[in-house]
Amino acid sequence: MSYLSGLRLHFSGQFQTNVSTVNNDAAHFNNAAFKAEYQQMQGPNMSPPNGWFNPQGDGTFRLLGCRITAAHLPSGEVTATDPVLSYIVADSDTAVPAKLVDLDPEQQLTSQIFGLSVRIADAAGNTLMRGDFEPSAFTDIWDRGLTPGGGDTNAGAYWQSVLTNLEWGDIDDSPFLSALQAAAAATMLSIKFNMDGINLSFGSPDFMCGRLVGTIGPQSASEPRHIVLGRHFMSSAGTNGNFFRPAGLLNFCCARVDEQAESLLLDLGNALPTTIAGGPIANIGDLTVGYLTPEGADAPAVHALGIVPATIYTQPDWYATTAGVVSLPLTADQRAQVAERPLAIVNTQNQVSTQESPSGAYLRADDFVYRLSPGDRVDAAVCAMRFGRPLADTEVGFAIDNGQLQPTPDQPPFAGASPPVGEPLSAVPIPATATTDANGVARLQFTCGDPGNVRWFNDGKDYGIDGQVYGVRPSFVDRSLAAGPVNQWDFISFLIWSAWSAPHTPPTWADVEPIFRQYANLYPVMSRFLDLGGYASVVGNAWLLRLAFGLPVDDPNHMPVTRDLSPAKRAAIMAFLADPREGDAVPAAPAPAAAQVHGESRAPDAAAASKYAQGGKTAAAARRLVMQQH
Amino acid sequence: MIQLQKALIEDLLPDQPDPAAIATALQHAVELEHATIPTYLYSLYSLVPGSNDAIAEIIDSVVVEEMLHMTLACNVLNAIGRSPVIDEPGFIPTFPGPLPGGVEGQLTVHLRPFSMAQLDTFLEIEEPEDPHHYQALAAAEPVVTIGSFYQAISAAIGRVGESLFVAGPRYQIGPDLMNEAVVVTDVASAQQAITVIVDQGEGTAKGPEETFGTDYAHYYRFQEIQKGRRLVPNPNGKSPDDRYTFSGALVPLDTAGVYPIPDDPARGTYSGQQAFLNDTFNYTYTSLLKALHQLVNGQNTPEQFNRAIGLMMSLKGQARAMTAGLPNPKPGPVNYVGPSFEYQPVEPGPPSAS
Repeated sequence: MSYLSGLRLHFSGQFQTNVSTVNNDAAHFNNAAFKAEYQQMQGPNMSPPNGWFNPQGDGTFRLLGCRITAAHLPSGEVTATDPVLSYIVADSDTAVPAKLVDLDPEQQLTSQIFGLSVRIADAAGNTLMRGDFEPSAFTDIWDRGLTPGGGDTNAGAYWQSVLTNLEWGDIDDSPFLSALQAAAAATMLSIKFNMDGINLSFGSPDFMCGRLVGTIGPQSASEPRHIVLGRHFMSSAGTNGNFFRPAGLLNFCCARVDEQAESLLLDLGNALPTTIAGGPIANIGDLTVGYLTPEGADAPAVHALGIVPATIYTQPDWYATTAGVVSLPLTADQRAQVAERPLAIVNTQNQVSTQESPSGAYLRADDFVYRLSPGDRVDAAVCAMRFGRPLADTEVGFAIDNGQLQPTPDQPPFAGASPPVGEPLSAVPIPATATTDANGVARLQFTCGDPGNVRWFNDGKDYGIDGQVYGVRPSFVDRSLAAGPVNQWDFISFLIWSAWSAPHTPPTWADVEPIFRQYANLYPVMSRFLDLGGYASVVGNAWLLRLAFGLPVDDPNHMPVTRDLSPAKRAAIMAFLADPREGDAVPAAPAPAAAQVHGESRAPDAAAASKYAQGGKTAAAARRLVMQQH
Repeated sequence: MIQLQKALIEDLLPDQPDPAAIATALQHAVELEHATIPTYLYSLYSLVPGSNDAIAEIIDSVVVEEMLHMTLACNVLNAIGRSPVIDEPGFIPTFPGPLPGGVEGQLTVHLRPFSMAQLDTFLEIEEPEDPHHYQALAAAEPVVTIGSFYQAISAAIGRVGESLFVAGPRYQIGPDLMNEAVVVTDVASAQQAITVIVDQGEGTAKGPEETFGTDYAHYYRFQEIQKGRRLVPNPNGKSPDDRYTFSGALVPLDTAGVYPIPDDPARGTYSGQQAFLNDTFNYTYTSLLKALHQLVNGQNTPEQFNRAIGLMMSLKGQARAMTAGLPNPKPGPVNYVGPSFEYQPVEPGPPSAS
């Protein structure tokens, strides 16, 4: 099933991602070298960079003004007599907003949403369906606007997850919602939304807001939660992208044959470029969707299944009312053909813009972001599929691939070089291979080692970034399955925390002060509530801190917002808050080592500013190892 | 001293009042206790952090107790088998305007940044029926006061007796969730809960101290701001009114330490980013009322209590940014935004930049 189903609704509105940017620079994790100006707003063109473009961000993620724009039953689109078309999609109205969280300062390209409650409500806000969005990360970030440059503003990406713990209101008036509830008898819904056009113009009314367009449909318990068990189109890389600029203009995307609806459902929502950032869908000509057969001297033959006309997809309200989902009816014969043939999307010059792997095979981890402690057992599901069906009994290989991680060079605007990523490898003893089961799922299983304090500063003497980040890329061992372009984003990110125990039992302020100090440094918003770096203030607010530090990670009130506190350190903090003791005097910050720290916030030159002053994601993408090595 | 409409207590006066009349009065009490919170918070959030901290601490301490009083009134209402209503638009008073049940034209309550004039409103709200004259005060008039309103409720509960109460405890917020909360199951505990409300608000007949809690009654705390000094015991005092004097530590007002947020803002006051900030605050405030409604209507769990606390912290964080003109520094003149405390069940999102 999944959101890409004959039974689905589309919604359109805006998002807000009010993230803090002080932690965009990994060198700001160095308590010993932190400066007050790192909490201030940057200057023009990052001169000076200070705390980048939103130091007062509180991490909130909100759904704003999202209206249901269309709804489809397997029998066809619902008409205006169904009140669902007057309803909205909103976030929680009984809890604080969700949070958007990076995995790590050195892996900022898999931001996850935690604590999001999604509601379908009437125009007055009365809830008709409520579900918990299972935390998930964005993927397939790309340079969506066709205008050059533009950085984060020009980027698009998508999130796919499930809604659980469903609660339904009085939906008898809506045939669509009644059908959705019946289909959700398995207790989950599938949701996917595309975001683009974030506004980074400080002072603008919609600063840190952008466009959000999405789809909700049924979800079965057995299918993957963050990826469609379907047909995945692989795009070749073009040039000059900050993130990914597809050579054929269409980004990675997916489709699904809906047997009940006798149609091919193609999701172009995060694949069609826009003329400008967050703007209208660009006219890239009629798109022919077909399947490929190998005959022909130089190129496979394309057998058209249908056309997505430019006159349709460039209509002003097309994206909002479809979320980019196209339905192409298939005959029985066509369905039989596409069950064994790779799909492709072809442009008006008869060139393939994007296509399935020639083998029809695809694999990706369902959940691809993990936070773990030494001794924790990893159990990551990697879903393999072929022509949209689970690919059983197939060997999947695993390899360390840190190329997409983002260590910071010692170069303005960064306050200093950040520690290296991906070492020691002893913390990630991955197996070479695993074999898929009957459901096409291979499990990446290993027990995490201890990376040690490899990311402390000043040769390991000064408190720094906890643990280490790693990338692991799954691939088919049988190379014939893996021909064609690879999606660079299809890897698994791990943050493995350092083993740690407080020097004293029970832990004292001196033991936990560096942890609190770092949060106080990186999140100036906390000063609205308390001085996290001060003993008296922390003790005075101990009950409130115990509450927030004691909440589960998917609670929107969970502290720290960044979800980067190891269970070991959390236990020490909770023990300290339950019985606060000052302990030894907290040593004054040592004089920073001259080689590592620069006297002031360093303004980048024009070339660096062009790379780093276009948003946090652009700056992270620009310093990926794979980019630094070229 | 607030004068309430006589109609509020008329149905409580018969020898055997209708339980529905007691429930109506208690719902009114819930609304009255809540109604003071926006005006106090508005002034509290106008104070620049780091200056006027003593004043901020005093206002904050009163707000916390108003929340307790609101909860206690809900506890009594639940104990008699009725359901508090918190999540409706009409629950929020209109500013400027009277407090719920207030005598028309007697006192108009405003959302205003802190000032001595605004403090006068606070003192009028909290003035006991018979205040201790540590400084000279006008004599009280024989009218329906907040104190006599609660006394009428307490007496009516006493006359109806135990038959008023359902088997319980029913939907109670106890001291496990909130300090000083009273679990109400019968006449005695209901009357104790009401005594806490009156004592903390007005003080005891003997002095300014609370019987419950450790601070002075609200009126005297606000007087500390007015007099600029903490109220302290005077061991040499002979007459009752000399036993305490405003001669303790300074409670200074730094008028430069008050953000110039507007008086009595409404949604229409703001445009652009300021309107978005205000809408977001109001959506959070409405969410808090909904969360509290759930808390006192059967979801009296630590998890639900924590959700409400989280919303309160979110409001505080948002208000701190709005009143300070954050995000900061802004291009162009700073626009200080004060939250309008309006019912906002749908978050409309930002106006388009273009």
